[in-house]
Amino acid sequence: MTSFRIDGGTLIDRNDVRRFTFNDEALTGFGGDTVASSLLANGKQLVGRSFKYHRPRGILTAGAAEPNALLTIGRDGRRGPNTRATMAELFDGLEARSQNCWPNVNFDIGAMNGVLGPLLGAGFYYKTFMWPAAFWEKVYEPLIRKAAGLGRASYDPDPGYYEKCWAHCDLLVIGAGPAGLAAALTAGRAGARVVIADEGAHLGGGFLAEGSPLGGKPADAVLADIVGELHALPNVEIKKRTTVFAAYDDQVFGAVERVQKHLPEHEINPHRAMERLWRIVARKVVLATGAEERPIVFGGNDRPGVMMAGAMRTYLNAYGVAPGKRVALFANNNQAYQTAMDLEARGIDVAAIIDPRTCPNTGYDGKARMIAGAMVRDTAGRKAIKSITVRHDDGRDEVIAVDALAVSGGYSPIVHLACHRGGKPVWSDEHVGFMPPESTDGMTPCGAVAGKTGIAACFAAGGAAAVTALAELGVMGEAASLPDIKQGDEKTDHIQPIWSVPSSKGKAFVDYQNDVAASDITLAMREGYDHVELAKRYTTNGMATDQGKTSNVNAIGILAENKGVSPGEIGTTTFRPFYTPVSFGALVGASKGMEFQPVRKSPLHGWAERNGAKFVETGLWYRSSWFPKDGETFWRDSVNREVKAVRSKVGVCDVSTLGKIEVFGADAAEFLNRVYCNAFLKLPVGKARYGIMLREDGFVYDDGTTSCLGENHYFMTTTTALAAGVLTHLEFCAQVLWPELDVRLASATDQWAQMAVAGPKSRDVLAKIIDEDISNEAFPFLAAREVSMFGGRLKGRLFRISFSGELAYEVAVPAGYGESVADAIMAVGEEFGITPYGTEALGVMRIEKGHVTHAEINGTVTPADLGMGKMVSVKKDDFIGRVMNLREGLVDPDRPSLVGIKPKSPSDKFATGSHILNPGDAVSLANDQGYVTSMCHSPTLGHAIGLALVKNGPSRHGEEVVIWNGLAGTTVNGILCDPAFVDPENEKLHA
Amino acid sequence: MSSLVKCPHCGLRPREEFTIRGEVATPRPAAGADEAAWFDHVYLRDNPRGEHREYWHHSGGCRRWLVLSRNTLTHETSEVVDASTLKSEGGA
Amino acid sequence: MRDYPLENRYAFPAHEVAFNKGASISLSPVKGGFVVHVLGDAKSDEAALKQTINKIAPELGTDVRGHSPNQWFWVGSVDISNDRLAEISAALHPQFVMTDQTHGRVRMKLSGPSSRVVLAKGTMVDLSPDLFAIGQSAMTQIGHIGAMITRVADDSFELIVLRSFAGSLWDELQHMAAEFSHG
Repeated sequence: MTSFRIDGGTLIDRNDVRRFTFNDEALTGFGGDTVASSLLANGKQLVGRSFKYHRPRGILTAGAAEPNALLTIGRDGRRGPNTRATMAELFDGLEARSQNCWPNVNFDIGAMNGVLGPLLGAGFYYKTFMWPAAFWEKVYEPLIRKAAGLGRASYDPDPGYYEKCWAHCDLLVIGAGPAGLAAALTAGRAGARVVIADEGAHLGGGFLAEGSPLGGKPADAVLADIVGELHALPNVEIKKRTTVFAAYDDQVFGAVERVQKHLPEHEINPHRAMERLWRIVARKVVLATGAEERPIVFGGNDRPGVMMAGAMRTYLNAYGVAPGKRVALFANNNQAYQTAMDLEARGIDVAAIIDPRTCPNTGYDGKARMIAGAMVRDTAGRKAIKSITVRHDDGRDEVIAVDALAVSGGYSPIVHLACHRGGKPVWSDEHVGFMPPESTDGMTPCGAVAGKTGIAACFAAGGAAAVTALAELGVMGEAASLPDIKQGDEKTDHIQPIWSVPSSKGKAFVDYQNDVAASDITLAMREGYDHVELAKRYTTNGMATDQGKTSNVNAIGILAENKGVSPGEIGTTTFRPFYTPVSFGALVGASKGMEFQPVRKSPLHGWAERNGAKFVETGLWYRSSWFPKDGETFWRDSVNREVKAVRSKVGVCDVSTLGKIEVFGADAAEFLNRVYCNAFLKLPVGKARYGIMLREDGFVYDDGTTSCLGENHYFMTTTTALAAGVLTHLEFCAQVLWPELDVRLASATDQWAQMAVAGPKSRDVLAKIIDEDISNEAFPFLAAREVSMFGGRLKGRLFRISFSGELAYEVAVPAGYGESVADAIMAVGEEFGITPYGTEALGVMRIEKGHVTHAEINGTVTPADLGMGKMVSVKKDDFIGRVMNLREGLVDPDRPSLVGIKPKSPSDKFATGSHILNPGDAVSLANDQGYVTSMCHSPTLGHAIGLALVKNGPSRHGEEVVIWNGLAGTTVNGILCDPAFVDPENEKLHA
Repeated sequence: MSSLVKCPHCGLRPREEFTIRGEVATPRPAAGADEAAWFDHVYLRDNPRGEHREYWHHSGGCRRWLVLSRNTLTHETSEVVDASTLKSEGGA
Repeated sequence: MRDYPLENRYAFPAHEVAFNKGASISLSPVKGGFVVHVLGDAKSDEAALKQTINKIAPELGTDVRGHSPNQWFWVGSVDISNDRLAEISAALHPQFVMTDQTHGRVRMKLSGPSSRVVLAKGTMVDLSPDLFAIGQSAMTQIGHIGAMITRVADDSFELIVLRSFAGSLWDELQHMAAEFSHG
């Protein structure tokens, strides 16, 4: 190991050596390391190149806010781009790569952008590449995309399993630092259901960075006691590696738990989720998210080796990693001095402390040289920092050799979750930061997010916050305490705001991730984009994966300073989910592949499969669409054969997916009379009737048959497509419009396996399994009733209805018996040449017969448009759609109406969607006569046929028209005709 | 938009269990009402900034139609009732 | 021609995977018995329904699970004939109407110490025992699939789902339970 790894490190296990590669170089770290800590331990200060200027960048933070150290980790489907090295735990065999550099991180051609810098300033997208316009798509965009951009997603499918989960609690504690732990302990001891979530691999937050003992006991031992007690409480659920990323309405919180992302491939349990998306329903929330240390904006502040002071302290104490051998601190607050003390305690030379405050009262009594009233204005070093230039208060410059620089510009409370529901953070001059909004609605911010500093004060605040939250739930609690530490022993910090160092030399970065410098913000102001939201978009400050965690407040400060107002007057940009990036895998959860959506299977699915069906997805249903026989390679060959079989012999088709609704109640008939536009009041028992439902706006909603099976008992069928919609509509009518009617609705779709048995021989087939007389006299067209089958072994429902236009029945049996009955029908039908047919043949036959489906019932048609105007009752006082159906525009005789259409030359074909023109007319909207709604090849007639909605269609049978296909650019001569191509006199139907 | 809805029959449920129909329009006019009343009922919606009453169907639960009163600005839900109560109050 | 075998086929996939012995979760089909959808009038109540059932069909039990105001699933473990059902139906009429859903709904049971955790992957309903006691039911969605969940024991839940969705729900539950059922 290198000399950067020193003694100590409460989180690492030196007996657990882990090998990994960084840009193909083999390195080692320890169990407990993050990728960042192990890179630093290996002396890797340079980890990537910046987004725009391709400047060398190092590790800035030790946590979620990291803007620089974004690596691509893993390979193939498990490749994770833009992974923060500071959050990624090191595992054996990990592969990490720098992004945004080519050919490699040390020699990067894109660094030329640094030379082109003047062209890439604020708003460069809107200026530099504007002209000539034709260059954008071909030249500029590919160029920018190649040069800029962050990591690249893998094209391979992620082999990992992801899932979503709900959780419930009385108290959700977000953040497991001193404040959060105290809150969880307090609520846990009081017996409340607690969930405590922390984004880190370890509970502890500020405890983890603490190098000094707490009340005579090592900080990690104090922490271990607290965590041990929490684990022992059965009512406390601890979620590590879990980022609460969003606060949604009604106290629902989104969180992502990285369950196995920290494990090497061979340790991943394929049956466990890689990541789990939590939706946590919390009655009360303690927000203990802490505060983010702010960088200072000065020249060369992005050089590798420049690091946040708190992060440096974490690497030192938690990971045993020294940032360098000779370190300087540039800070405007007392808290940061702790880093200098801890460095010195580990024997690391602190070259200087540069503090812009003229007489800081820090209580610091270390060895380092104090330079008050001064600022760092520049840094030097090619790929890592070699020296800093300090501007003294007298204007003198001094170069100090260092190999690392700790920076602290104050602390920004992490208020995101308190603001996701619209709350605006409030500026505090005292804390020099934006504090959580005053009203946070069930959420109590405490600890560093509420401006507290120091472990003792935060711990006390957490306990108190939990007591308050519990009290609102009617639970008494006693705040947990750390008895060995004196409370409130921190010196009041005095932070001197410093938004940018005025004497900065060279680029002084505000937003590292987007390469936004202080000069870009002032340029945006000069160009009129001085509103905080505009400045963000013009400069890109605060965008991309880190969403400005380290940059936003400094940018606001610079805007404020230049406008001469308080940062509070500038305000923040809007906080929206997500707090940190969430993988698509987690958001998708298990809904991918076959689990993308549920599959609905007909009770006859197995029967269809055994008969060789090809299936088609219809909504969630799998329906059998045709049944190819040996030698049939083209789907239409099968369909033609099926149609001919039905028309000449008999066929059987699965229609179980049609919606079926049982309608009961003393007012059931009245109810049906109101929801259908045609009359239903006098439908006798044992009869079915075709009905049309309108929408309240007068257009057709759905059609189907409803049978009266008994007194106050009806059985409605709907189309497959609108099964759920019709039930919902009926429920609205029954519950909202006419709650006074006694009508009770039950979905029965799944109870019945239903088969259409159609064709001239259908009666002969069914007579063999139905015990009753089903002759034309005993069971005429539209008869419907319960029947005994198989010698009394089964009860079914038989309906004499026909979609194909043939003599036909639909027979329904309890779903479990569906396959047996279908098999029996096939067996008894064999002598009659029975053929299973699918939805394609069904579709062909209904077009041949001129029956409509939702291809015609497309939301723009009235019953009259479909040739069924006479069905609309003129006697009924009221039904859904009655009044609006009579509107002027809906009764216009010129409306496009249903007509058949066929090609003039039988060998011609045409397409659905084609428009109809009069011969000789130019293609124009004004000349449009209508359009083709359905078409097919009719095996019965031997040529293409179609249905169309054409102006005045019914009175134009025999007229010659042009069928224009605008997509294909073709025209075909056609003839309008009766839509009933087959059996217009209904002789077959009534046979 | 509400994440959770307190169904008067089922208790607290997630938004995903519901289907939203839209604003509670003017009551359905009587059979003989003039066309203007029908136009208002079928087409006229307020889309208010503030208090708003909507039909929500608990399609993934009890399948009852509910009337949910919520504030489009603050997202607060003030009341959820079974929609069958509307008519007796002259509202459906 | 009337001796064709009539087999009542269940909607479960052919591969009824038995979870590992000792796993903290088990999923099993509930076969046989009946599910009847009972729809009451506006004034009906559960106590009256149970009382009536108890009077006319005490042998079938009064396991009624409310899923909506005035609507219940009446569930039992013995098979029930069409004729018997018609008798009961007539006796309940008109306050209650009944429609057989024995074939339209499928029952399955998820049991074991992890069953609550598994269901939390699908439903938002809080199934902690103090809020969702034995015998309590909820119509909800498990993922995208509507289902009725009933707690039948401390660590055991019965699910009732539409037959056409049963295969999908079965598969999804297997995935959701896999982390507890594989070593």
